Amino acid sequence: METPEPNRADRLPGFGLTLLMNLTVIPLLLSWMGLGIILFPALFMALKLATTWHREKITRQLIWIYARISLVMMIPFVQFKAEGLKKNELKPTCILVANHLSFFDLYSLALLPFGDISVMVRDWPFKMFWYAPFMHLAGYVNVENVPWHSISEAVARILSKGGTILIFPEGHRSRSGQLQRFYSGAFRLAVETGAKIVPLCIAGTDQLWPPGRLWLKPARVRVRALKPVDPAEFTGTSAYRAIKKVVKTSMADNLREMTDQDRKARTARQANVV
Amino acid sequence: MTDQEIIDLINLTLVEEFELNMADMKPEALIFDDLELDSLDIVDMVVVLESAFQFKIREEASIREIRSLRDIHEFVINKKNQLAGS
Repeated sequence: METPEPNRADRLPGFGLTLLMNLTVIPLLLSWMGLGIILFPALFMALKLATTWHREKITRQLIWIYARISLVMMIPFVQFKAEGLKKNELKPTCILVANHLSFFDLYSLALLPFGDISVMVRDWPFKMFWYAPFMHLAGYVNVENVPWHSISEAVARILSKGGTILIFPEGHRSRSGQLQRFYSGAFRLAVETGAKIVPLCIAGTDQLWPPGRLWLKPARVRVRALKPVDPAEFTGTSAYRAIKKVVKTSMADNLREMTDQDRKARTARQANVV
Repeated sequence: MTDQEIIDLINLTLVEEFELNMADMKPEALIFDDLELDSLDIVDMVVVLESAFQFKIREEASIREIRSLRDIHEFVINKKNQLAGS
């Protein structure tokens, strides 16, 4: 039996909504980025005078607020859902490891209950002149072309001051949506510092803004924190590899579940439209 | 440790660390093109080789010259011989 072609009326809401989203949200986000850059010096000085926070923490907190406001701007088109991210569920001074689907993943981490987060980053984002000064001020760690002991010392310093580390262990965005090979750095750092690993599963950002596509699409973004993994429970010189395996398996299982749930929800919505 | 034992240990260490296939671990395999490693992996590679062979190599300039698996084998064998001679 032939599957009937969806008629124009069925296609319009999706296409119309996407067009509206790109005509409104992109200019709004770009304007907000410009305004944020202009306001940053004054806000930085205000927090410097009003608090005892060091400059990295001030910058990270401002980045977090900037990202949260960016999420609010997207609410008409993007549904955000946080799971296991309440203040009593997720404690700072840990190493967050997240899968990486989209440039937007960093923004969706504004769903976290705290903002003092330093991101471990490859070299190329430091070349984006509009972001680089803030990344340097925030104490983001460049993990490429630097000796291991520099990375290790920087992370230990951040954790000792109450900060949290965020790492995308895949190293770059997945183009297939599947979990890629994990670099070992995050897990080696957990063993060296004793900090717990908190796996974060991000779903939906690849629908919103996947690598290689220039426009946004309405999506449902979910961020789920999994049970922390304590490096103290692993022994031996290859403990970090065992931790990596446990974390990756757990993330893969949860991402599969989240993707299946989202696919079923989309199918149900499309059935209702028809 | 014989040279072949060193080669076998290097290959096993890299297979386990980078989730590679042992079948791909040919001496002529290029680490960036054939084994699909990148600059971030070199940091990890240095750490795992240091741990496997109990020596320090992170400050050595010749690491940057490594292009193939054979280069890694020769580097480690030379280093082991150097340390045994001193």
